[in-house]
Amino acid sequence: MWRRVLFNAQNVQQLKNVNLRQLAAKATAPKLLQLEQVHIDEAVKLEPALAIYTPEIWRRAHETFQNHGLETMSFLRIVTGNPNVLKRTPDRIIHTLEIWRACQFGENLLHLLLTKYPELLDVTDAHQLLTLSAYLKSRLSTNKNVWKVLMNSPDLMAQPENLIEEKLTYMFEVMRIEVPEIVKSSALSLSFEELRCRHTFLVRLGLFKPRPLKADPNEPTTNHRLYQITDTSEKSFVTKICHVTLPEYEAFKDLLARELERKSRKTQVEEEFSDEEV
Amino acid sequence: MLKIRNICILQRRWKSGKRRWNVLQHKRNNCDRALETFDDFYGSVYGGRWKNMRAALLTEHKYVAMVNNFGDTEQTCSMLELDGAINIKSLIQLAMEREEAGAESNLLLNRHAHYDIDDKLESLLRKQQEREVAAIYPTAADDGHVPPQQLSYDGKKKEDSHTEAQTDSGKEAPSVEFTHSLTKALEQDVQLDESRLVDPQFGTGGLYEYVPASSIKGMEDWVAESKHYKYYQTSTDFPLIIEPEAIFQYPEHLAIYTYEMGNCAEFKPPRQCLTGVLSHFLMDGASVLPPLFLQVQPGERVLDACAAPGGKSLLMLQTLHLDQLVCNDVQESRLNKLRRVMQEYLFDYKQRWAGKRLIFSQSDARNLDEYGSYDKILVDVPCTTDRHVLMHQDNNIFKPTRIKERLRIPELQAGILANCLRLLKPGGSLVYSTCSLSPVQNDGVVHMALQKVFNEHGITARIKDLSQHTALFSDIYRFEQPKGLKYGQMVLPYLPANFGPMYFSKITRNS
Repeated sequence: MWRRVLFNAQNVQQLKNVNLRQLAAKATAPKLLQLEQVHIDEAVKLEPALAIYTPEIWRRAHETFQNHGLETMSFLRIVTGNPNVLKRTPDRIIHTLEIWRACQFGENLLHLLLTKYPELLDVTDAHQLLTLSAYLKSRLSTNKNVWKVLMNSPDLMAQPENLIEEKLTYMFEVMRIEVPEIVKSSALSLSFEELRCRHTFLVRLGLFKPRPLKADPNEPTTNHRLYQITDTSEKSFVTKICHVTLPEYEAFKDLLARELERKSRKTQVEEEFSDEEV
Repeated sequence: MLKIRNICILQRRWKSGKRRWNVLQHKRNNCDRALETFDDFYGSVYGGRWKNMRAALLTEHKYVAMVNNFGDTEQTCSMLELDGAINIKSLIQLAMEREEAGAESNLLLNRHAHYDIDDKLESLLRKQQEREVAAIYPTAADDGHVPPQQLSYDGKKKEDSHTEAQTDSGKEAPSVEFTHSLTKALEQDVQLDESRLVDPQFGTGGLYEYVPASSIKGMEDWVAESKHYKYYQTSTDFPLIIEPEAIFQYPEHLAIYTYEMGNCAEFKPPRQCLTGVLSHFLMDGASVLPPLFLQVQPGERVLDACAAPGGKSLLMLQTLHLDQLVCNDVQESRLNKLRRVMQEYLFDYKQRWAGKRLIFSQSDARNLDEYGSYDKILVDVPCTTDRHVLMHQDNNIFKPTRIKERLRIPELQAGILANCLRLLKPGGSLVYSTCSLSPVQNDGVVHMALQKVFNEHGITARIKDLSQHTALFSDIYRFEQPKGLKYGQMVLPYLPANFGPMYFSKITRNS
């Protein structure tokens, strides 16, 4: 694992600077530099838990974030989303930001990520985060893809690596879906069982055909996109994507669970037998 | 301790692993072949509804439990009820009450004269033929040669109107319509393929040696898949009467338990009872319908023409009505399976049943010759068994070497059904059933058999319309709407009630 992390650190990915500059230019347009009492009042209205902090704390935290390139608007969004940030000392905030910076998403993308999910600032274990991001990079090939995946499913931070691996392997090998499609969906937020159930249901309905291994990659598939399959509620998945009724899917879930359980029990028994023979 | 297997695994790791696409590619097996055929065939027959059936067929099916009357009946019933199962009898009772309360508001039964299934099958046949032709003449588009197309006969679209009590004699042979006058044919064929004309200046001598080709070299054994669909005919030249079945009685002593629609719970495996027989029999839910609709009455002599594995025969025995049941099957092995089931479920099998009230016979159902001697016959013919062929590799009829057997299934089925019609006493009735969704094997076979017995033996029969009585079962099963079927009823596979497919048609021989 360490080797992977080091390898990752050496292999600094050149982010697409053009894109970044565009984003940066857009962000600079309406700039708020000062934290005013109006902002604080608004934030407290949104999140009453913020009322306990003194103006001094507000100012200090704002300054810290501003020094690290986050605008006032982003700062306000972060504190309303995650009030506990204000409790922390500037050193701790900086430490967390440094950990995130080590993932090398690029400043602007990182700010977008942190503004969208302020809870990500609760990270304290640098080793864990870097391990995760290095692992994701090894499967998804670029840092930008890792960022996209985190934007779509931030709960990856809390998932153990073997579960993520299971899902990714399933998507790559069984569903035969390529990286660009995976990072555009929040498929990794789903549990493996649910992902498999939805996919199997589509396959049995005849609505999902895995791409042939020799197929031309430019040829568009007739399958539904992954985000349509995974980023929908159960009801809209069943009625809009599969065009069947909800009771049918409910029954299918039960039946599939039983079928898989039976299959796994069978293979277990077979393995025991083969061990005895040897 | 060092195991041999561990060394093998160790060695395997040194190989490069499966990377090449042709290694990774899933090898096409019989189930895939079956699924492909079904997708094509049923997709065009059932349209958008096929995908629901497809998912249901590919998923585990649902059982019902038939309580053994020769065991501890009360105990078994209460055990099943404790698990939440419901007796079908009480469901029927409820449905009957509901129906009576609903008044006789919709009594008028308008049998439709035209079935859209006919058109669908016709277009499917045409499509299949075109595809086969295209497979033989692959470069049709390249060299500008037009593949031979099906001639369109003007009068072919004959309105097949068999309303109730229509009895047209066999005079109206369809072949009359196909003969055109020669001049008319010549006029139609004016557009000749110029490239094939022999120029007289090169001499016409060669033409005398010309022998027209009748088959393609290397493909003498080839069987066109479209042949199969030709078994489905729409022209009627035998007296056909369809009338609603008058009454339906649920057998008093029969206890069959099921879970309500949407509940996918499983039954407990059967236990040994005090009498030494097993407590209940688990079977596909749709299989109970053909013997139920056969309506065996006390004192009747009944034949089960293709009995194995015995679920339906056992059900008829459980009604306690039977006088004598003859179980017939072709293969010894299947008959042995049937014997085993009977031994497990019938009390005092050796003394009271074997050879006396329960008779086994091993022969092809087409060769049985005790004509006019049975009151009731259950004809559960061999078919493509749609659920089985999609799930199991062994004994799969979609094996490439069995293609001829598969394509001729309707012929076999019609042969069996026609012979069974002859075995019936005049006035007796039979139920023909298959576990296939294919209209060729269902309505097509009934049609063929009725035509055959009329042409060869002058036997006429009437079809009983069961749709009024199947409505009683609509809480448990999902039925095909009566519009889609001509001669029978069908249980469709449906995920919350994953029974079937099961087609059944009741036919009564005229006295």
